[in-house]
Amino acid sequence: MEQKGCCVWFTGLPCSGKTTVADLVAEELKKKNLRVERLDGDIVRQSLTRDLGFSKEDRDKNIERVTFVAKLLSRNGVAVLVSFVSPYRKARDHAREECTNFVEVFVDTPVEECEKRDVKGMYAKARAGEIKDFTGVDDPYEAPLNAELILETVETTEEECCRQVIEKMAQLGLIPSAGGEGTPEEPVYSPEEEEKIQKRLEDLGYL
Amino acid sequence: MAFLKFRKGKKRVFVFSIDGVPYTFLKAQMEAGRFPHLRELDGQSPLSRMRSVYPTISSVAWSSYMTGQNPAKHGIFGFVDRKPGSAEVFIPTSLNMTSKTLWEILSQHGKQVVVMNVPVTYPPRQVNGLLVSGFLATDLKKATYPAEAAAELESMGYRIDADAALARESLDRFLDDLHQTLDRRVEAMFHLMEHRPWDYFHVHIMGTDRINHFLWGHMERGDATYAPLFLEYYDRIDEILGRLLDRLDPEVHFILMSDHGFCTIKGEINLSRYLIEQNLLKYRSSPPKGLADIHPESRAYTLLPGRVYINLKGREPQGGVDPEEYEQVRDQVADTLLQFRLPDSGEPVIREVFKREDIYSGEHLEAAADLFAIPHDGFDLKADARKETLVEHSALVGMHTYDDASVLIRGSTAIRPNVEIIDLLPTVFDLMDVPVPADIDGRNAVT
Repeated sequence: MEQKGCCVWFTGLPCSGKTTVADLVAEELKKKNLRVERLDGDIVRQSLTRDLGFSKEDRDKNIERVTFVAKLLSRNGVAVLVSFVSPYRKARDHAREECTNFVEVFVDTPVEECEKRDVKGMYAKARAGEIKDFTGVDDPYEAPLNAELILETVETTEEECCRQVIEKMAQLGLIPSAGGEGTPEEPVYSPEEEEKIQKRLEDLGYL
Repeated sequence: MAFLKFRKGKKRVFVFSIDGVPYTFLKAQMEAGRFPHLRELDGQSPLSRMRSVYPTISSVAWSSYMTGQNPAKHGIFGFVDRKPGSAEVFIPTSLNMTSKTLWEILSQHGKQVVVMNVPVTYPPRQVNGLLVSGFLATDLKKATYPAEAAAELESMGYRIDADAALARESLDRFLDDLHQTLDRRVEAMFHLMEHRPWDYFHVHIMGTDRINHFLWGHMERGDATYAPLFLEYYDRIDEILGRLLDRLDPEVHFILMSDHGFCTIKGEINLSRYLIEQNLLKYRSSPPKGLADIHPESRAYTLLPGRVYINLKGREPQGGVDPEEYEQVRDQVADTLLQFRLPDSGEPVIREVFKREDIYSGEHLEAAADLFAIPHDGFDLKADARKETLVEHSALVGMHTYDDASVLIRGSTAIRPNVEIIDLLPTVFDLMDVPVPADIDGRNAVT
């Protein structure tokens, strides 16, 4: 089947696990020989949007530029995996309108858990007032109302989250299904393999 | 960055499955003083008798175990099946199973699984953990999820299956092959159970079914050479069981199980030939060239073991039975099957005939055979219409039985009477504190 372009948009608090899961999903999709691009907050802010800060206005500009890139890629048959805090609903809704096959994934990790996972100590700095406008501390996070998928990451492993994303993408027909649909699209066995299998079944009296 | 460590503790399950090992055999051998490790286990948590599925073959039995459902829900009815609306047959695989498996449901709940060698898991479907497919996988490279795991197993010389064809050439070489396959399996099992995180670990031993197929008769009649070698293989299984229990966290719930029983074959019965002799089945050419060659005047045909289809107009390409005649013809065929007696001894062959709706329910009911002929133990039902003889004897000496599978749950002193293989999925879920999905047919084997 021809690959469909799509934009899987991971949103959630800082340190909620967006990058971890999106990276795993990217690996899985590459294993399936699909075209994949990652747009990750930390990386994009070092290049495409390095002139921007964290005010509401700058955050909106940041997401607007990312949306633009995701739009170009997704309409050209690439699976784009975007991982940004992207706290504002309106900005995400705009991305949904612009991109081909938009899939919103809400990485729903409670703020206490995010703080525990915060290796760079950003939450502590925000609490101490050293960082301003930090989402979850002194800047709001507007949780998605209609996300295609919500990931619970406290009781669930990162691999399982990845599996859920892949499953959702398959359900939406964006990638080939992992199976279990009753009638596989392609034959499972090549003619030579089928001959071998028939022989094995015959040897056991199963044919 | 890992955001969750894997769990240890009381809610983990280890399943050690031995294909086709009868309860009565294990019991008798324990009473004769064999299998010390199993005896010890049995002393605390008695080994119990379990029912399998109809038809009693591994692909259907394991599909029912791993889905907790009857075949009309999971869609696997045999090692071969008809393509709907055509005269072609195909070999069902994991992709034809329409239900979620035990390990997929556990994965959804964030549990980590390792599943080794269970039949009908090829091609491997995605899990949270590792799965290596069993019987009917061809190539280890394509048989694991994730694909990278194949290299790790290959480096351990892992084998998916022993070569049953050897049994027809040399029983000694076949036995060597079984032992080697078992050694590699067990080495990989210990490696994975100690190096991989898991909440559910399942290792399947297929070799027991294989040795039963070719040496069960030797064991039963006390063959001087092969009966001891047969039992030696089982002694090894018991020794492995002992080592496994030594190394397994005592808090892990341990389940030992088989999927069906076994008995000696008195004869391979060609049910197609019987239908031909009873004027219920007719082919257009001789020898017949498959299902496409069925004459429209035929009333019924069969796929093994004992799956009987009415040659229904509109459904079968060469259908000759009008839909309004269906029930009448089905009753007539069922009666004819029940009257089947061996020509020389007059012994009845068929114990029972079920209509599909008697034993199945679910969305795939229409894909099931119309009738299920259940033989008396010892009569192995075949279906090769090209063969002209009604009763045959081959290198195969053992056949499956329905009501003599085995199950043992460490820590459970009372397993329900008449427990069935589909009851194990909800049992496992209850032990792991995972909610049992609503569409499951089985119920907890203990409570």
